[in-house]
Amino acid sequence: MSASLRILRAGPLVTIQDRGRFGMLRHGIGESGPMDIGAFAESASGLAVAGTAAIEFTQAGVDFEIVGGGVSAGFAGGNFVLAIDGARQSWPTAVKLERGAKVTIKPGASGNYGYVRFDREIGVPPILGSRSTNCTVGLGGYEGRALHAGDELPLLPASEPAEHNTRAGGTEGPIRVIWGLHADLFPAALRQRFVSEPFEISPRLDRMGVRLADPAGIFRDTRILGLVSDAVVAGDIQVLGDGSPIVLMRDHQPTGGYPRIATILSADLDRFAQMRPGSVVTFQSISPGHAYAARVR
Amino acid sequence: MTEVLPLPSLLPLGDGALLVRFGNTLSDAANRAAIAFARVLEQQPVAGIAEIDPNLVSVLIRFGEGADPDRLAGEIRLLLSRFDGAAAVEPAHHTIEVRFGGADGPDLDTAAAALGLSPEAFIAAHNAQPLRVLTTGFAPGFVYCGFHPAELDLPRRDRLRDNVPAGSLLFAAGQTALSATTIRTGWHVIGRTEFRNFDAAKLPPTLLREGDLMTFVEAAA
Repeated sequence: MSASLRILRAGPLVTIQDRGRFGMLRHGIGESGPMDIGAFAESASGLAVAGTAAIEFTQAGVDFEIVGGGVSAGFAGGNFVLAIDGARQSWPTAVKLERGAKVTIKPGASGNYGYVRFDREIGVPPILGSRSTNCTVGLGGYEGRALHAGDELPLLPASEPAEHNTRAGGTEGPIRVIWGLHADLFPAALRQRFVSEPFEISPRLDRMGVRLADPAGIFRDTRILGLVSDAVVAGDIQVLGDGSPIVLMRDHQPTGGYPRIATILSADLDRFAQMRPGSVVTFQSISPGHAYAARVR
Repeated sequence: MTEVLPLPSLLPLGDGALLVRFGNTLSDAANRAAIAFARVLEQQPVAGIAEIDPNLVSVLIRFGEGADPDRLAGEIRLLLSRFDGAAAVEPAHHTIEVRFGGADGPDLDTAAAALGLSPEAFIAAHNAQPLRVLTTGFAPGFVYCGFHPAELDLPRRDRLRDNVPAGSLLFAAGQTALSATTIRTGWHVIGRTEFRNFDAAKLPPTLLREGDLMTFVEAAA
């Protein structure tokens, strides 16, 4: 029986994301995809079959209603307060949602990003091989934009068995990096401070990047100009002209011209994405060889 | 004049990619080398590579599932040792009609004046010779074309313009760029074309390739 989902309330930046839009860098199109890939996968782990796309929501959560037939849904990522028709549920979880079920997801104890996936495919057309929303350029997902109250999404039959990959990211301790494309342009003493002094997650974060507060003023005097614009990857830590460090995230532009001191390991980027503003973050540099051994995805 | 390039460097970019860089500054030779090496990787595919992306002076090489990065780096070094920098593909040639100045190119007059030229003389100098597509980047279908002679070298504007529409012709740093989506830019917006280098409904979604030749002409009024 046909089903659909109606958004009743949407916090900022509720988007449709699948694993990402691959192979389009040479056309100037970044990958997008889930901010926390491990949680995205986990949200399907309690489902027999799962659609390839999830709804990704931010700290403020999302409320929706199931219209038409019942579906199964899996929830994961961070820690949110989930209720179905007013009845509190555990988190993460997988549940059956009957026709007319009202789902409310409210801010919980930790995390910035949560996911809900269904035993159905979210009925938006794949664009260049992906249903992921790239808000930066207005591509994919639902009309290339974040979801709003009143949007209705068809839930179509899905046949793919859900993936059950686990990711070996650490759960605490420093965020691991390897030295970046322009690390050699930063003085050795500065690099030493970069991996010993604490930074703080600032309130200025979105799918493009996370601005770090630099209380020790490590990059206060950094002025590295005139670099050739070059390829960027998610996890790159760049320093703007005013000395602000920014970690580039999934909706980053495909190229950039600011100096990059280090790149966060893929295994630690999910955990970094879930760190809330005010969290203290320290970095630890490891060799590319060790990074390759810890590589995920 | 032959430019002497530094030896290409092979740099890790995170744990999922390598970057082969042919120069630390933007030069014609480094750009041509990057384009030619990307072609080599297309024509002699190396197992374990998921994606290659030529940039202004480098080629991004992304690892596929289960790739051995150390072995891959070894194979790339071997290809580099045999690489003579020659491009094996004849470039396509595109003619792009542009409406210069006015609402389509609000910065034309100031850019021309900054170079000590009348708008007409600037347009003539800008269109005097074909430019090469240096790379696609920054935004979908956004291409950088170069190089203009040194006397047409102008820094970017101090302030960014918002909502610059698709098809805008941009000018700065001895280059001309062409946008294919709405962007924010500090480049001088000098004109606009009906040509769109991006269609999300098509595969591939862009028409221009790095290395292609671009002739810009003034659209008939």
